[in-house]
Formats: sequence, structure tokens, C-alpha cells
Amino acid sequence: MQGINRRHPQDSSITGLPSPDSGENSDGKWASRLLRECATAMSEKDSSKIHHLLWMLNELASPYGDCDQKLAFYFLQALFCKATDSGQRCYKTLISVAQKSHSFDSIRKLILKFQEVSPWTTFGHVASNGAILEALEGEKKLHIIDISNTLCTQWPTLLEALATRNDETPHLKLTVVVTTSIVESVMNEITPRMEKFARLMGVPFEFRVMSGLNFLGELTKDSLGVQEDEAIAVNCIGAFRRVDVEERRAFFQMIQSLRPKVVTVVEEEADLSSSRNDFIKCFDECLRFYTIYFDMLEQSFAPTSNERLMLERECSRSIVSVLACDDEIDHGDSERRERGNQWSDKLREAFIPVGYSDDVVDDIKALLKRYRTGWSLVLPAAGGDDLGINLTWKEEPVVWASVWKP
Amino acid sequence: MTEEVIAIGSTQNPVSGSNPQPAVKKKRSLPGTPDPEAEVIALSPKTLMATNRFLCEICGKGFQRDQNLQLHRRGHNLPWKLKQRSSKEVRKRVYVCPEKSCVHHHPSRALGDLTGIKKHFCRKHGEKKWKCEKCSKRYAVQSDWKAHSKTCGTREYKCDCGTIFSRRDSFITHRAFCDALAEETARVNAGSHMKNHAGHMNYQFSLGPNMGHHFSSIFKPISSNPQNIDPTTRGLSLWNMSQQPPQSQETICKNLQEMHQMGISVSSGGAIYSCTDPLVNPCSSNPHSPSTTYQLNWDFAKNLNSSNGAANDQLSCNSLPLSNINVKDMGNHQLSGSVSSLFSTQQQSHQQTSAANMSATALLQKAAQIGATTTDPSLLGNFGLKCTENPIQNPVTTGLGSDVLALNHLQMYPSMRHHIQNQENIREGETRDFLGVGIQSICHPSSINGWI
Repeated sequence: MQGINRRHPQDSSITGLPSPDSGENSDGKWASRLLRECATAMSEKDSSKIHHLLWMLNELASPYGDCDQKLAFYFLQALFCKATDSGQRCYKTLISVAQKSHSFDSIRKLILKFQEVSPWTTFGHVASNGAILEALEGEKKLHIIDISNTLCTQWPTLLEALATRNDETPHLKLTVVVTTSIVESVMNEITPRMEKFARLMGVPFEFRVMSGLNFLGELTKDSLGVQEDEAIAVNCIGAFRRVDVEERRAFFQMIQSLRPKVVTVVEEEADLSSSRNDFIKCFDECLRFYTIYFDMLEQSFAPTSNERLMLERECSRSIVSVLACDDEIDHGDSERRERGNQWSDKLREAFIPVGYSDDVVDDIKALLKRYRTGWSLVLPAAGGDDLGINLTWKEEPVVWASVWKP
Repeated sequence: MTEEVIAIGSTQNPVSGSNPQPAVKKKRSLPGTPDPEAEVIALSPKTLMATNRFLCEICGKGFQRDQNLQLHRRGHNLPWKLKQRSSKEVRKRVYVCPEKSCVHHHPSRALGDLTGIKKHFCRKHGEKKWKCEKCSKRYAVQSDWKAHSKTCGTREYKCDCGTIFSRRDSFITHRAFCDALAEETARVNAGSHMKNHAGHMNYQFSLGPNMGHHFSSIFKPISSNPQNIDPTTRGLSLWNMSQQPPQSQETICKNLQEMHQMGISVSSGGAIYSCTDPLVNPCSSNPHSPSTTYQLNWDFAKNLNSSNGAANDQLSCNSLPLSNINVKDMGNHQLSGSVSSLFSTQQQSHQQTSAANMSATALLQKAAQIGATTTDPSLLGNFGLKCTENPIQNPVTTGLGSDVLALNHLQMYPSMRHHIQNQENIREGETRDFLGVGIQSICHPSSINGWI
């Protein structure tokens, strides 16, 4: 699907920039080149070059084309916002667009379809559920505090496991923490479904949704209502990156104060925080990550998939936030990801790392077998500090999962 | 079943305490409620876990029972001897589990046969040495593992909404979120039908911890072993049956009764499994059908088809970032001028040619061409890209007044209009849909898509 055509106004002789379909571009990766040039021009404040490149990208970009065109489209949006200092406004618009275009039905369909075709999220689910079940084995009253972005799709399989594996089914209390208002309305639909399902599974169940937080950083121990006789697990999937970078250590301390038996952490492998003061570095890393992500989406879904389109669109907020929003105050959740080893360094101040058992590793391997090829599991290096595991797509680590205890 | 094999040719000596009339089907009771007259045997864990302790001296093959070894020895032309059943009456033997914490440890809950107690001990208290490669499920008893491996991955799981899954985990997750999860109806129906099948159903719809075991049978695959006509399977049918709308209760009750009488397994693809509740929202009748309620269907289809043609058209409606924000901010008129020029009308010609590729969507598009005079590309672009951008506010709007165009689009693309209604952005009261059908069925996944 080569969307590049030949009818570019030929300004290349004036500005000295090569046009996209010149010979050196035969490998088709024009988007990253152009985007990087544009980002460089921005950091150098080369106004005419910026305009020219933005215009060229605009010519070529499309959210419906191939990966290059899509990347060009979404990154162009962020670059444009940066150039016009309109990142905040754009972000807010994107939020309100998403709120209006999403319903419970559409979100449900989206995430379930995504989980069917890609282990991107189910990897973390299987790893975390396995670790939680093992850590809370034999406990009668379980309390799982769930701070995730996967809308409770993790829990049906855990409920089933609780119902079928143990001789005596424990009581499970599930407290779900949500921040964005998109998710709040969806939770109203999820609550009755979770409760019904647990009833059918025969698991004594209590489900609570904690909403109303503006930032995850505002979460406190008291608001979570943990009790003395409960065995606590804190499950954080895509949660830490939403905490403001400066507040992350304090957030870990807060979790530690809950006295959990186990903390399960799943994050995406990208470093968008250590470079947050270096635009080019941040840009490069952001582009690298989303290039892999978009490629993965393209390979996993059918070509005409609506769900893939929606997932791609979901990225736009994140990209705009990271590249064009410069840590402004009323921003809502941050999106500054960190790599596993970076999280490990911080987490080690409050927790001790725990490795995954052989059984859980086997479960993950079995899970990956059920998807198309391209995925694999990377276990921690022997003798290394980081006991987390990585999901890789075409050899690139994309998701990191780990287990911690106090 | 006793350890001794009845010698060939001798008459069967009825053992006291055993069932004198083999023709009568014994009612299956709770496991481990033995005959009070029986002799209680307590074997050691080692004995229970031992397998194949009878070895052939010629080929080394192991057998669980001496009788089997003897029969095997015949093949080597070795002397063999089958033990005779002793002439005097032998007390029936029952076996207790050596594990103190186990419920079967106490003689009153002893199990009736040796193989049973062996398997029980291995399964419950033994090390799970056997592991399935595909799903990594673990088993302590090799025969369990073998049986599982044969069917693993070949099963299909069917949700009440009609969707079929090959993977159990995605089935479970889907189930939890599926709108077909109608427990209230189930409860009501369960109560009324319990009385009819009291004899067979020791299955209760109360919510105790044991329910988990029963309900896990919900996730039994469609092609489960037909011999498992146990309460859990029947419970499964009851539960599934209760998904039906009330008016079909009678037929289903009859079906159930028939099945019991004929001893047919529920899982043989009978009526209960294949019915889908017409009242249920089609949450996902086909895992591959894209959502039609999402307004982008049209736009995506259009662009998809245009991509089959010349590549020109893909580039034309892509000015999202520039159209969204006031173009004048750029301070470069060349850019703002070119933005407008980007919006070519080439899209329309491609719509016409690509119509042949689609069915229902094609019809809608054809109607679009008939209905619209000029198409406002920025409007299309906005619909395609932003999903909710109110076209009226678009500063780059050209062509006809945006009111009329919005109206046209509302009429032509019910799915989009449905979406817009959700946003409360409707300009007019034109809610009559194009095909004269209600919104619900338009939004049914299977009714619109010509392209999947």
C-alpha cells in the first residue's frame, strides 16, 4: 500500500531538502526521516524548514494509509502543536473527542478484540494473575487493588482460577482505581458485569470503584479502605507512567504503606522520562516506540479493522502529551513511560523483587503460542538485578512485567 | 471392582454387599460413601503412587495389576497363571486416603475401588509431573494428561451470544463482559425446573463456595466427553437453558426431559446450544465483524477502496491538524492556501468506482452521490479523522452550506448519524434513517458490513 505519489510541488531545489520519492528513499521509511528532520528543525528553530517539512508531512500523512503514513499523521499532529504552542488545547480536544466517540460497547469490543489478536495486554494479565494467585495462596480474605488501564479484563480469568483451583474459594474484594473520566462512565457498566460473573463463578465478591481522582498521585492509603485481616495485592498495569514523574517515588511509598503481600507491575518499554528535557532524544524514543507499536497493530489485525484504527487514534493523545505538552499543570495523567530497569531502580527503594515461578512462565509461554508468530518471552538474565520479564515483538522488548513484595 | 480377575469359565460368585442386579442402573451418589459392611484398607502413599510395579522379566514392561502381567506373559510363551477368585465370600474392600487432612481419610468416606483411590491420591495430593505443552495445564495422573492432550486446542467454546472461541481464556473474558450473561432469568427458571428433575439434579442454584465447581462446567467445551452425564453437565444445560426468553421455556423443558430420558449429552450440539437469544444485544455475534456503530465505517471503507485505486485520494483528506486549529496561526499563507487545495474532489470519483466492491455500504454510498451536489471534502475529512468535530465550526468549509451537508450525511450514513446523535450535535430533526429501518437493526453488526 504505497501511498506516496509523485505530484509534489518541487521546492526541493530551493530549500535543499530531498523530496520523499527520491532514490535514497526506496526502502519506504520516509516518515521517520522526515519526522526527525522536522523535529531537528524545531529544536534549531529553523522556521522556514519547519514550515516546509510540516507541509510535506501533511501532504503524505494519512491515518488510513500504511504505517509510515500513519506515523507521519500522528506525529505531525504533535509537531504542529509544538510549533504552534497549542499542545494543551489539542490534548483537551482529543480527550473530549474520545469521550464522545466511545461508549461502553465500543470500548469493550475494542479491548476484547485487541486481546484476541495480540498478547500486548494479556501477557501482563497472565503474569500478574499467576503471581497474585501464588502469593495469596491459602488466604481467606483477598483484597486486590487494581490500578490498570485494561478495564477489568484481567479479572474474569482470575475469578475462574479462584473458583476452580482452590479447594476452598476465598473471599475477594476488588478495588478499582480510575482517573480519567472516559473510564469512569465505562466502569458503571463493568461493575454489574463483574459482580454477576463472580456470582456465577461462586466466588464471594465485593467490587468497588474509586473514581474522582484527578491524578493518580492523589491516591492515599486511607481512601482505599484496606483492612487488617485482608491479604493485599496491588496490581499496577500501565499505572506508574501516569503518575507525575516527580511524584513516582512517593507513590511507591504510599503503596508500601498499604502493606501488600505482592505488587504486580506491568509497563511498556520506552524511556520517555529521562529525556523529557531533551526534545530530540524524547522524540526519537517516542517515534521508535510507536513505530514498533503501529507495526504490531498492523500485523495483528485484519487490514480493514476498525479496532486497529481506534487503537491508533488512542495513541494520538499520548504522543501529543509527551511531545507538545511540556508538563503543564492541569494536564491530567502524565504519559511518560520508563523502561523496566528504570522502574526497578526506583521500586527497589520500597520493595524486593520476586521472580516468576516456573508454572507462571509456562503459562505465559502457552499464552504466546496461541497468538501469531512474532512474539516471544525474554526471561531475566541470570545474576541480573531486574527479575522482570519482557514481551518482545520481533525481538524488540515492548512490555515489561515484574513482581515485588515488601 | 476388586483386584482379582474372575477366572474364565467359572460362575460369578455374588459377593455380599455388592449390587445383586447389574441390570438396574445404580444411582450415583456422593463419592466415598461406602457400604458399612465393607473391609477398610489403608494403603500407604507409596503403594498408591506406585504404578506398573508388576514387571515382565523378558521385556521389562510394567503393569499395574498382576493379572495383566500374567496375560502379557502368555505372549512370551511363559508360564502364566490367573488367580482364581476365592470360593468363600469375600468382603468388599474399600480404601481410605492416607492424607490426614483429606476428607477421604476417614473410613466413613472411603472410596470403593483401588484404582479410584490411587487416582484420587495422585490427583489431589501428588506431584503434578505431567504437563500439557499447549496450555501448560498440569496433571499428576498420566492417563489424565494423555486424555487432555488429545483434546487440548481442538475444543471450541461457544458463548450464549453465539460467538465461538478456540481459546478458553478469551472465552472466559468475553463471557464476563457479554450481554448474554442473564443471571436473573436463570434464577427464576432454575427454581421452577428444579422440582421437575429432582431425581437427577443435585445441583443447586445457591451461591456457596461449591458452586464454583459446578459453574466451571460452564466453560466446558462444546465437544466434551458425552459420557459425562453428571449433575454438572445437566446443570450446564439448565443454566444455558435459562438464557432463553421466557416464552420458550416449555419447549426447552421438554427438550431437557427428552435428553434425560434418552441419555443424550447436552454437548451434542442440541437445540440449547444453538439458540441465541434474540432479545440479547448482539455484543459480538461474529468476532470478525467490525463495529458498525462506529461512524468511521463509511470513511474507512471509502479510503480503503480509494487506496486500491490511485494513491492520490489518500492524501487528500488528511489535514486534521491544520484544519482543526486556525490555519492563520501558521503565519504562512502558502500553507493555508495549500491546505484548501489539498481538499480535492477526487474522492468522489473514487467512491463511484469502488461501490462495486461493497454491498450494503456500496448502496449507501451510491445514495450519497445521488443525494449530494458537491461534497465538502473538509467535512468528509473531519468525519473521517476527528470523529466528532462539528463540521459547522470548521473554518475551512467550502461548497454548500454545512447545514445541508450535515443533513445529507445524517441521512446517508445511519451509523454516523447514530454516533452524532450520541454527541447531541444534531442540527435537524431528521432521524428517519435511510433504509427505513430502526437504528437497532442498522447497528446490528451483521446488517451493514459488506467488507470484513
